[in-house]
Amino acid sequence: MTSPQLEVRNLRKSYDDGRIEALRGVSLTINAGEYIAISGASGSGKSTLLQLLGGLDTPTSGEVLFEGSALGNAINLDEYRAHRIGFIFQAFYLLPTLRAIDNVQVPMMAVSGNSFSRAERAEALLSELGLDHRLNQFPNELSAGERQRVAIARALANHPSILLADEPTGNLDSVNSGRIMEILTGIQKKRGMTLIIVTHENDIANAAPRHIRIRDGRIES
Amino acid sequence: MSFAGFAWKNLWRRRLRTLLTLCGIGMAIGAFVALVGFSRSFEMEWQRLYSSSGTDIAVVDKNFMNTSVNQSLQEKLRTVPVVDKADPMIFNIMDVTPDVNALVFGWLDDSYEFSSLTFISGGRFHNGKPEIILGEMLARNLNKKVGDSIDLQGSSFTIAGIYHGGTALEAGAVIMPIDQLQQLSSLQGKVSGFHVRLRPAPAGESPEHYLKRAQAEIEAALPGLNAQAAADRASNNQFVGLAHAVAWGTSCIALLMGILGIANTMAMSVFERTREIGILRAIGWKAWRVLLLIQLEATVLGFVGGFIGIAFGWVALRLLSTLPQTASVVSTSLSWVHLLEALAISILSGLIAGAYPAWRGSHLSPVEALRHD
Repeated sequence: MTSPQLEVRNLRKSYDDGRIEALRGVSLTINAGEYIAISGASGSGKSTLLQLLGGLDTPTSGEVLFEGSALGNAINLDEYRAHRIGFIFQAFYLLPTLRAIDNVQVPMMAVSGNSFSRAERAEALLSELGLDHRLNQFPNELSAGERQRVAIARALANHPSILLADEPTGNLDSVNSGRIMEILTGIQKKRGMTLIIVTHENDIANAAPRHIRIRDGRIES
Repeated sequence: MSFAGFAWKNLWRRRLRTLLTLCGIGMAIGAFVALVGFSRSFEMEWQRLYSSSGTDIAVVDKNFMNTSVNQSLQEKLRTVPVVDKADPMIFNIMDVTPDVNALVFGWLDDSYEFSSLTFISGGRFHNGKPEIILGEMLARNLNKKVGDSIDLQGSSFTIAGIYHGGTALEAGAVIMPIDQLQQLSSLQGKVSGFHVRLRPAPAGESPEHYLKRAQAEIEAALPGLNAQAAADRASNNQFVGLAHAVAWGTSCIALLMGILGIANTMAMSVFERTREIGILRAIGWKAWRVLLLIQLEATVLGFVGGFIGIAFGWVALRLLSTLPQTASVVSTSLSWVHLLEALAISILSGLIAGAYPAWRGSHLSPVEALRHD
């Protein structure tokens, strides 16, 4: 029997010397290639869970296992984020001084390759996402939907096996929101990636094959 | 996009701040280039001063500035077998006008050191007479010609000749009869020391060994005096030492200001880019790579500032070489070693200045950095 891709064991995360408990003993398993939506009210702990799954932060107690190995112990968090994870944020978080094609190259600089091969891959990814005519635009010259597509291309740059999206449609109108979800689910199917989306939009959450609801730092269902 | 290109784009986003920082480090490096260049050219001029007259050894008291050696020792010095010529000299600095001071040498009118001078007009002075000769640069700055008079320490001296000297020190100097300078200084019978030209080294003896043997023989003949090789005397005299100390001291202060300027720029930059650093960490950049990026930006500031500083320094030296007050001791020639030193110091300044901001940036928690407004 193969181990799950991600396994969360009794995860707790508190802030402010324990006065704020964001997660209160969360456990779950995620298999490779799953598409999961995590929903909950503001402050429920869903983004904190995503950050811990992505190795952006370390838990107060409990552990996250990737393919059976504990993050932060057996697996270096920087390596994990660089090679295994692709992050997509609500506010896009593109670097404002870089053109779209350069933004997509930034994660690749953490790994290897020469600038020519990086540029080639960045161009291919942006073309795949329908932005081949916007390669040299700076973020402030792009629409919100285009920015999020650049952010998706950046998340895919290092061939991750897991895509983590924190409210990816939060800053988009309904048309762009639908388009971005189509792209994400399309990528998940085409590449067999694990897709974990944090959202507070019921439509998006309910469309996912697996829906995890979080309330007050605990999994509700 | 290359790593260096990324660093440059980060710097260029705040053009005005980057340019002002470059000016700051440029001024600091410029001060180093000009001041240390000045002190080194001063030392070089001293070396050329000795070599152009063919002086091998300077026989002096322990204190360079003292005019306390008995002139009567000249005869004894001339009896030392290795000595070919030995002439007394006095060295001083005097106000020639309220604005211009000059090196003043006292020589005998038959000193062998005249061989390094070429008279443009007039000729030598005569012992016992109130006559002087002027270097061509000093004569030009003072607008004086042969036959004019100059007032020194309240006494009037007639210009007997204007000469072309082999060094900037000579070109800006006054040379006068040693007895006249002794009178002006109220130090009759005393000299600063003797300049000695040695006989040719015997066949089979190396020049270095011969020089050491000559020094020992002279010191044995004149107990209490130092016989120093001319090259050592040029490098180690108190004027050169003082010039080096002032140049390095002032340069260090200027460099400290430049380093603080870069550090301030980088600290501001890291603070403003906290969220971006969080993004870099989130997408897999390791802490050391963030550190390297910030250090590279600081180093680029230092490197580019170094080139600007070299240009500033060269212009400053050019200006100093045209001022009457400094023209006699400033050469505009800059050695490659000095320029490489300036670049190395500017790069080192960038590395030092970037160290703390880089450390701080690289140790930001990705989550905390992403939350930063």
